[in-house]
Amino acid sequence: MKNRNKGAAAILVLILIYLLIPLAVSIIYSLFSNWTGIVPRGFTLEAYKNLFSDREFLASLGRTILIAIVPIVVTILLILLALFVTTVYFPKLEKYVQIICMIPYTIQGVILSVSILSMYVGNPTFLSNRIIMLIGAYCIIILPYIYQGIRNGMRAVNMPVLLEAAEMLGASRLYAFFRVIVPNILSAIVVSSLLAVGIIFGDYVLVRNLASSAWPNVQIYLYQAMKSDSMKSSAVFVVIMAVTFAISAVVLYLRSREGKHRRVDE
Amino acid sequence: MSYIKFENLYKSFGSNDVLKDISLEIEQGQLVTLLGPSGCGKSTLLRCLAGLETVTSGKVYLDGKDITNVDPKNRGIGMVFQQYSLFPNMTVLQNVKFGLNMKKVDKAVADTKSREILQVVGLADKLNHYPSQLSGGQQQRAALARAIVTEPKVLLLDEPLSAIDALLRHSLQVEIRRIQRDLGITAIFVTHDQEEAMVMSDMIHLMYNGQIEQSAKPIDLYTKPCSPFVASFIGHYNLLSAADMKKISGDDIGCDSLAFRPEIIEISRTPVEKENAFHMKGKISVSLPHGNILRYAVMCDDIQVDVDVLFGESELFDSGDEVYLTVSKPECVYL
Repeated sequence: MKNRNKGAAAILVLILIYLLIPLAVSIIYSLFSNWTGIVPRGFTLEAYKNLFSDREFLASLGRTILIAIVPIVVTILLILLALFVTTVYFPKLEKYVQIICMIPYTIQGVILSVSILSMYVGNPTFLSNRIIMLIGAYCIIILPYIYQGIRNGMRAVNMPVLLEAAEMLGASRLYAFFRVIVPNILSAIVVSSLLAVGIIFGDYVLVRNLASSAWPNVQIYLYQAMKSDSMKSSAVFVVIMAVTFAISAVVLYLRSREGKHRRVDE
Repeated sequence: MSYIKFENLYKSFGSNDVLKDISLEIEQGQLVTLLGPSGCGKSTLLRCLAGLETVTSGKVYLDGKDITNVDPKNRGIGMVFQQYSLFPNMTVLQNVKFGLNMKKVDKAVADTKSREILQVVGLADKLNHYPSQLSGGQQQRAALARAIVTEPKVLLLDEPLSAIDALLRHSLQVEIRRIQRDLGITAIFVTHDQEEAMVMSDMIHLMYNGQIEQSAKPIDLYTKPCSPFVASFIGHYNLLSAADMKKISGDDIGCDSLAFRPEIIEISRTPVEKENAFHMKGKISVSLPHGNILRYAVMCDDIQVDVDVLFGESELFDSGDEVYLTVSKPECVYL
């Protein structure tokens, strides 16, 4: 029994090392200026100081966060409404919704961005606005992840019975859906949006092809930094990781505080 | 004038006719049971009254009004479901208040009423618990409170106790009956458990195959079943065809089949002379103790007759013993 636990612990440690090495190396690389010997020398925070005094960097970071929020909110709302309608009124259509939501899994970023460009860039409507295009593209990319997450959350609650119970108590179905069902699948929504944040933060292809000049986000900044200064680019990478981590931590903390609030009530 | 009335109700799902020409009247203040095997349409009938299913044809009246096409939320009907249906994100108190809030009842009034009703169902100390912290029985009691706090015209109970273990189920049957009587609620209870139906109801409507097979008071349903199906579903009737009876007792019964309950049969080692009775001879094949009663399966030729005796009241028989059975003719049901 003990041996088995040791084995499991060893596997866990290996996986952790595997996952953390790139991050650790990047952090170390961004902190030392002299790499000529075996041990790096010349510890300095210069790279970070420069980054945070660079307005362009901060703006690009802000753009990344902003461009992540809008598509996630839009997609969650769309999926919730679609699943409400299919579950309550047209259960037979659900499999088609699922198929449609799964299609973006198979679409490559390059193909998607080129298709969007060739379709909309020619005619000057509001859809040819680069930022709108980018938001639309992100909505498509994160669709399968949000759909799958919310769908699984809905499976876990007995939606038809809860809706009927609410209806018998005098609530309309739509009200019941947002008042009774949505709060119960909140953790599914949170987890899938975090996944979506990760995907959007990691995207370079779409933003590069669709809006590199109109909306230079932090990935574009990183790419340019890589061309000029490797220490700076490591620092950018570390900051991106830290921001992603911070967003996840804040959201999960809010969720856990809600859970604690419930337990105090007992 | 009846309080609830179904008039020539039909309901089909595709080509499957679930309800066939149901006409039924229910009095105010009564607890009425829809009893039947699974798939007989009893839940569907209840859901037609609730408005959760649309009817294919026919009419539903409640309190003198035609409600066939009224939205469920506007029917003024309370319902307790088979599955636990409390809202998991709300406390017991919030769950109970939900219906009152929907009716825009004054906040303070809603709070007082909800606390009172939770007192009635015995959950006064669980106000701030979440459903996941309650046992199955407590959840169904909270669901009952939630359904009756809005003072609905009718309370519908769709097999609310079937997921609850036997011991607790019996106490909840009594409790539901007490609350229903105390508050004078008109209630319709759906179950497949004939014992539950007997204990709880003023009136039982036994359904089979989308139709009402027999409507009667519990005791009448038990002693005077009107068809072989009712006889086999209620109690534990021995159901024998005319040919079978001819074979084992030598009597002509003068109808298609004969039903008699296991507990009216006299069993003895020697033949009994009795006027106006059927006499049969058989061999004990097995004896099954059911707590307070002992059930013998007696083979008369190749036909099995079940005989119940009160435990300890008569001598004990062993498998293989030859016995004589006497069945008083007036106590039999001729079908």
